Parts: sequence; C-alpha cells; structure tokens
Amino acid sequence: MSSKSIEELIAISEIISDEPAKIGEFALPELMAIACSREVKDSDIVFAGTGLPMVGIMTANLLHAPHAALIYEAGICDGKTMHTPMSVCDGRACYMASTLGGLVDTFAYYLQRGYVSLGFLGGAAIDQFGGVNVTCLGGNYFKPDNRLTGSGGNSDIGTMAKRTVFIMLQEKRRFVERNEYTTTPGWWCWDWKTREWKPKREALKNSPFADCGPEAVVTNMGIFRFDEKGIMYLESCHPGVTIEKIKNNCNFDINTSMLKGETRYPTYRELFVLREFVDPELIFISERPEYPEEIRNLL
Amino acid sequence: MNRRHIKAKKAEILSLEEAVKKYMHDGIMMCTGGFTAMNRNPVAWVWETIRQEIKDIHNIDPHGCLTSWMLNAADAMAIHESAWTGWGEMAGKLDIQSGNRYKQGRLVLEEYSHGAMALRFLAGAIGSPFMPYFAPPGSDLYNPDYDALGKAGLRNGENPKIADKKFVPIEDPFFKEGTVYLLPAVRPELAVIHVSQAGEKGTARWRGIGTLDKEMAFASDKVVLTCEEIVSEAELRRLPESNQIPYFVVDCIVQVPYGAYPSSTPYFYDYDAKFIQAMNQASRNLQDLKEWLNEWVLEPACWDAFLEKIGTKRLLDLKADSALGYSTKLVRGKKPSPVMRMPLSVMKSGF
Repeated sequence: MSSKSIEELIAISEIISDEPAKIGEFALPELMAIACSREVKDSDIVFAGTGLPMVGIMTANLLHAPHAALIYEAGICDGKTMHTPMSVCDGRACYMASTLGGLVDTFAYYLQRGYVSLGFLGGAAIDQFGGVNVTCLGGNYFKPDNRLTGSGGNSDIGTMAKRTVFIMLQEKRRFVERNEYTTTPGWWCWDWKTREWKPKREALKNSPFADCGPEAVVTNMGIFRFDEKGIMYLESCHPGVTIEKIKNNCNFDINTSMLKGETRYPTYRELFVLREFVDPELIFISERPEYPEEIRNLL
Repeated sequence: MNRRHIKAKKAEILSLEEAVKKYMHDGIMMCTGGFTAMNRNPVAWVWETIRQEIKDIHNIDPHGCLTSWMLNAADAMAIHESAWTGWGEMAGKLDIQSGNRYKQGRLVLEEYSHGAMALRFLAGAIGSPFMPYFAPPGSDLYNPDYDALGKAGLRNGENPKIADKKFVPIEDPFFKEGTVYLLPAVRPELAVIHVSQAGEKGTARWRGIGTLDKEMAFASDKVVLTCEEIVSEAELRRLPESNQIPYFVVDCIVQVPYGAYPSSTPYFYDYDAKFIQAMNQASRNLQDLKEWLNEWVLEPACWDAFLEKIGTKRLLDLKADSALGYSTKLVRGKKPSPVMRMPLSVMKSGF
C-alpha cells in the first residue's frame, strides 16, 4: 500500500495501461486470481468459496463485471466490501449487502431456486471429468492417509450453479483419472441406484440441474476446460510451463490438441486493482514483485 | 417430536458455571451456533464444558467452529456431525486434532454437505421429519457405503434422536424432476447460540449474518443463549423486526461478555486471527496442546480472568467500529487496513 489516498489511487488506476505485464512483474497467485476474474460476466450471480475464489470475483467486480452479484455462503447477498474479508462469513463481506440472512437463504433460496449462474470453488484433487475431492486422500474413506476438510458448500454449489470454476494446485496425485472419493461430481459420476459410472446428464435425468457442471479449472500450471463429452482438455499453459510439465503432473492422458497457447498475462491495470484495492493488506497474496518503474513513479 | 404444545415460558438467567452444570451431560447431542472460527461461536460455553470435564459429546456443528476444535483438543467429542471439519480459515483450515482423532478411531464423523445440513436443520426447526433436497447424486456423500453413524451401529433405533437412515433417494412424485434426496431432520437436545443482545425474557437479537442459528434454536429441545448483553425486553420490542428468536423458544440466558472470543460478535468485537493461529500451532503436537489447554482453559479462575489474561490492548484493538461492525485496527495481513469511506465498486459503478 502506498501513502496515496484511495481517491488518488483510483485516479492512478484510470490511467494505468491495459498492456499485459511482463514475466517477473507478477506472482503466480496473481496470474491465477486474474485468470479466475476473467471467467466472471457482468450479469453473473456468483457463489464463491474462501480464498483465491473470493479474490478473483472481487477483482472482476472492480474491472469488467461491476454488476456481478456476490453470494457468500454464510448468508450474504451481494456484499460490497470496503476491506478484504478473510472468509465467506467475515463481517467485512456483509458491508452494504442487499440482504443478510443465513444458510437457508444462500443454499435454498438462491442456489436450489436456481439463481446462481457461477460457482467459484477450490479443490484438493480433481478427475478428468471435473469431479472434485475435498474430503480425503490416500487409504480409504474411513481410514485415510490425509483427512481434509470435507465438502462445506463445495458439492452443493458445484452441483447447482450453472457453471463452476475450480481453482487448485496441480500435482500428479491431485489430477487423477478417477477420484478415490468424489465430493462434488463432474460430468461423469456414479449412479448409486445401479452402481453404474455414467454421464452426469443421465444420472441426473429430468433434474433441473442436469446441465450444470464444471466449466474451467485454473491451476498453478495452466487453464483447463471440458469438451462436449465432459472430458478435460488443456486450454493454455502459464508462462514458463511446458506441455510436458503439465502431462507429468496429470495422472491421466490429458488432451492437449486444443491448446491455444500461453495463458494471457495480467495487465498492469488488473494487477494494480488486485494489489491496491482487493488485497491491499497482503492477506491472500503475501509475496508479489515490485511494479515497473513507470508505475512506481506514479505512487 | 419433543416440544409440541409446551407452555410459553420465561427464560431463566444463570451464571456460565451454573448453566453448563444444569444443561450439559456426558453424551449429549448438541449443536453450536456461529460460523467457522469467525462469527459468534459460543466459545465461553465450550470453555466451561471442558472445565467441567463433560465427555462423549455428539456435536452437530455444520460449519467447523472453534467449538469443535476445542472439544477435539480436550478429547470431549465422540461424534461430529458436520459439513466442514476444518475450522479457522486464517489458520490453515485443517483441524489437526480432528484428523488425528478420526484416523485413530476416536471420533465418528458423519458428513453431509453444507446445503444439506442447512435443510436438515430447517426440517428440525419447522417440525418436519425430513426435507427433500437436490443433493448431488454421484457424490460419495450419498454413497450408501459411507454412512458413518450406521457403520458405528448407531442407527439401530436405540437413540430416538438418530435417524434410521442417513438419506433416502426418491423420484420426485409430483413434478417428475428426477431424483431428490430426503434428508432427516436434526433434532438435538440442546442448542447453544451466542447473540449480541437478549431481553430478560429471552427475545434474542444479533447483527450480521444469521448462519443457521434460528433454525438451530427451533430444532433443539432446549436452547441456551450466551450473550454480550442482557437488555430490557421492552427495548428490544421497540424494533421487533430486528429480533430473530422469540422468547418462548429460549430456556436459559447466560451473560458472558466477549463470550465468542476469539471469534467475532459483529458490532461488538472482531475475530482475533493471531490467537487462532497460535491455537493451530499448539495443536500440532499433543504436549503443546495440553499446555495450551492448561494455560488458556483450565488455569484461569473464571471467564473474566481469561479475558484479563488476553489483555486490554488486545481486546481494544478488536473493538468493532460502531459504524462498520468490525475493527479497522486489527492487523491481519502484512499491512494495516486502508482508510476507506465507500466500497470502491460502488464508487465506480453504483450497485
């Protein structure tokens, strides 16, 4: 944070260039948060989880999607934050909200009623169909090697939001062919009645949520999307990441035939908004490179 | 089940020690209000529960609160029914003792998703035996093999408060909208909820988010409010639309200022991220955890003595800004909070 007043910082943000920043001028979590923010449309009603998902949508709210409504699961409808909330129940996320309620409001009135167009979630592991595991890794469910937090709102939001974007760390053991435990089903899932593995649209036949599901996955290595069969493909690699590296960090044969190239770099304006307005206290992204000289001179 | 056609009652006002003695017992099925380690957790209640050595608690804490962390730390919780077994977002999310106790077989963990827990509490609150929900078919949450209470032999009908089944999938019989899941109501013996203000008769008010506190109060057989202030019932009734829980639902009121510390009570005080981070650090090995419990829970003579040990400076820094409802003096990241007058998105683009 500079010594400039917020009004002066806003004035600076208006004149900063929309050119992409250069390698070395942004941190990886900044690239990821901004890639997330670009998934948000101005007309979206967004339901987001704690952490980088919140940072991403708050950034979008200050750039290209000022009217996107933000739902936070503890009961907050369209909070207009002044100070960075640390989680989805922080009083800072309540400021100037449209209404405040509780979980029945967010999960039943907004989500199950069908208002939420975009879900923004984290995950510990993901399969090639976009099914996510945030429950346990290794061993078995009742005696896991690693017990994680469990669903929270992940499976509700991932099932009933029209589109869902996941943001997560990519490692070989986290990018798997089939999840050991599925918290939030992807485009293919188990049908427990028949114990068959089938497309989600069939498992959810006649359900109002049959067409809802994962749209994109933003990792520390690249951005992934899903083809018409509901199988993940690589869309772009982050700067400095090769296709080989991504293949080595997938436990399945990732489709790279639709690769568009490098992930778009954050622009100077996007970085400025993220650093000065969304996370000025360095809560979520604590290490970041200095601005180039022309921006430092403005501050 | 219980509580049908009871007489309207007036809540009793007790001290923290008396109330825990009266309302808690070994093996109780209870629920605790608030949300994660951030918002209105009834911490003082659980603090006193640990001091009175109450054991084998079946705690229904859907959001991963400080209360569950403390009960795990003191080895006082036998069953945790929840959607999220993490706790402090500011302290790495994972409750280390919860994970350890689970792996050692000392904790039964029954899991649903957050929306499912919300509707289960709503069912309890409105007196329905169950609620239909578009839960995700294909999630292992609805894998028939993963029914923890069933596996532990607890769905045998002996405890009337535990449902015979974890869930029942049915085809929508009315509008033919595919499979919906019937989720059993939650029907705890006791709800403990921390509120800002309680009238002397029991009417309750909080500001900020509601989480599931109203549903918890109505779903439970008995309700204890811990509160920052007991205020005149007449004063609360001048603005009845701001109150959330009617008096006849409440059995007992305990006034315990800073009773949610280190979580926040909006418009009173903020959460103490540093204290919660220290708790997380202590939970990394059993010796440190034992020392933490001794120092912060068992040794202080009373709750006020605990607050004295926290110290005036720290509590003053947490004091909420009366206009915003949270503290702007609290340092949470690497830099202090900026001075702000309006949300930037509103300044730039309106609503």
